[in-house]
Amino acid sequence: MLDILEVSKNFYHRESGQEFQVLCDLNFRINEGEFVCLLGPSGCGKSTLLNLAAGFIKPSAGRLIFQGREINAPGPDRAVIFQDPTLFPWLTAIQNVEFGLQNAGVSKNERHLKALQSLQRVGLENCADVRPHALSGGMRQRVSLARVLVLEPALLLMDEPFSALDENTRERLQDELLRIWLADRKTILFVTHNVDEAAYLADRVLVMGPAPMSLVTEVRVPLQRPRRRSAFEIQNITDRLRMELGRQPCCIPVQKRSHGNENNQT
Amino acid sequence: MAAMANKKREPISVFPRALVSISPFILLISAWELTAVVITSWRSVPFPTPWTTASRLLSALGGETLVDQTLYRHILDSLVRWIAAFLAASASGVAFGLAAGWFRMLEKIAMPIVHILQLVPGLAWIPVAILLFGVGEKATFFMIAVTAFAPVVINVVSGVKRVDVIYVRAARMLGAGRKTLFLRVLLPGSLPQILSGLRIGLGNGWRVLVAAEMIVGTGTGLGYAIIQARWTLDYASAFVCIIVICLVGLATERLIFSPLEKKTVERWGLSRGDL
Ligand SMILES: Nc1ncnc2c1ncn2[C@@H]1O[C@H](COP(=O)(O)OP(=O)(O)OP(=O)(O)O)[C@@H](O)[C@H]1O
Ligand SMILES: [Mg+2]
Repeated sequence: MLDILEVSKNFYHRESGQEFQVLCDLNFRINEGEFVCLLGPSGCGKSTLLNLAAGFIKPSAGRLIFQGREINAPGPDRAVIFQDPTLFPWLTAIQNVEFGLQNAGVSKNERHLKALQSLQRVGLENCADVRPHALSGGMRQRVSLARVLVLEPALLLMDEPFSALDENTRERLQDELLRIWLADRKTILFVTHNVDEAAYLADRVLVMGPAPMSLVTEVRVPLQRPRRRSAFEIQNITDRLRMELGRQPCCIPVQKRSHGNENNQT
Repeated sequence: MAAMANKKREPISVFPRALVSISPFILLISAWELTAVVITSWRSVPFPTPWTTASRLLSALGGETLVDQTLYRHILDSLVRWIAAFLAASASGVAFGLAAGWFRMLEKIAMPIVHILQLVPGLAWIPVAILLFGVGEKATFFMIAVTAFAPVVINVVSGVKRVDVIYVRAARMLGAGRKTLFLRVLLPGSLPQILSGLRIGLGNGWRVLVAAEMIVGTGTGLGYAIIQARWTLDYASAFVCIIVICLVGLATERLIFSPLEKKTVERWGLSRGDL
């Protein structure tokens, strides 16, 4: 489904004039229908990885293969849900949902119908004609979800989508996401810094660290769904994840790129 | 009524609000009256008072000719020139600004030129206009368009650059092509700056129109009338034209820009300057 092959990403740091490495020789694969969470300390490159998979930026080395083809541009087959909902403020909720359909050349009537259904799915059909600034944070994130689901993407890339929401809203949205995921069997790559969220949602949690140890470990969550948040097994996973995360520095400063050492070996 | 129109603010009582909104005019008219009285007695020239100007305005509105034409004819001709040239300048300015804001190379090559254009004082275009088009309508059109163009472009470019990259990414992720990106993302996203660019452009155009008509003029128009009135010592008529020019300027702000801003930027929950 999605293969990350020996991917590295360097950024050029203007002030110091130096390149620094964010992702180093990252390798993993996500299978069709899997729900994978990416966990890691702030600054370790989670968003960078997501941006690479979305096609917003290009890797410095390595390749990203999606459904057998190399990723080189963004597209509606790889939907992105950003941390801050990026609904277009100048369009109403339903126009936002129709935006992608219009790009795909769907006729006007069908577009409207599909968009309305998609809003219905996230429980917002009554807000179709409201502009984003008049919606709450949770509602905006729902519309963002509706906006990409309507395009039936194969992969959902989500960058801390619920982290700005209150506990209650977050839990509801998590459950709705799971419901949608179970119904459509989408593949989801979900970035979070919240261990509870990762343990509750994921089939597999990838724990990331600072370069050059970009991928620290992976933790499988072989539990049936629906899961109970307070279940003993979930607590076990949470503890394990917390421990893994605790070994990492809590946030990662800008790093100098190390030249010609063991980093380049596979 | 005043309280209704402005629901967002604290409703103070109606009387002081009305007083506040008319006080600039009262101040202006008092200063004018004072100047007229002092100048008339001191230099013994007939400086038109607000009163004589108002009565001249009324008679002109009643159809009496003013510098060989009716006031309406002057206003109409000026408006036509102004609007035609402004539309040309703003359409090309917005299109060019969107492109220059998006394509780095174009920005680097073209924007220094636009900034230089911006620095040329309106009146300095007169010789250029005459050389290019001779005396006449085309020269007037050129002068208005060229002075309105630069501020529009500069503002649109800065508007496009301020559109958050996240909107561009979202659009591309949703399958937007280049045309959609420009028309449905960059254009509305930079609308706050576009509107301020158009405001400045329109104002520049209006000011230079008067200058252009004074020199490159063709026998009608408010600017032409002002300069002609001087030769016939009909100062009250000149003042009438000045007032009309100011009123037209105010009216465009009130009737075009404020409603446009309310309908778009404010309704989207963006205030000017953010995004
Ligand atoms: N466009 C860029 N130019 C330069 N440096 C960048 C750029 N984007 C990200 N970085 C740097 O790369 C590093 C990783 O950033 P990234 O946003 O991927 O971290 P993250 O894991 O998502 O962190 P957080 O949990 O705080 O969101 C940071 O040091 C950041 O400053
Ligand atoms: Mg991030």
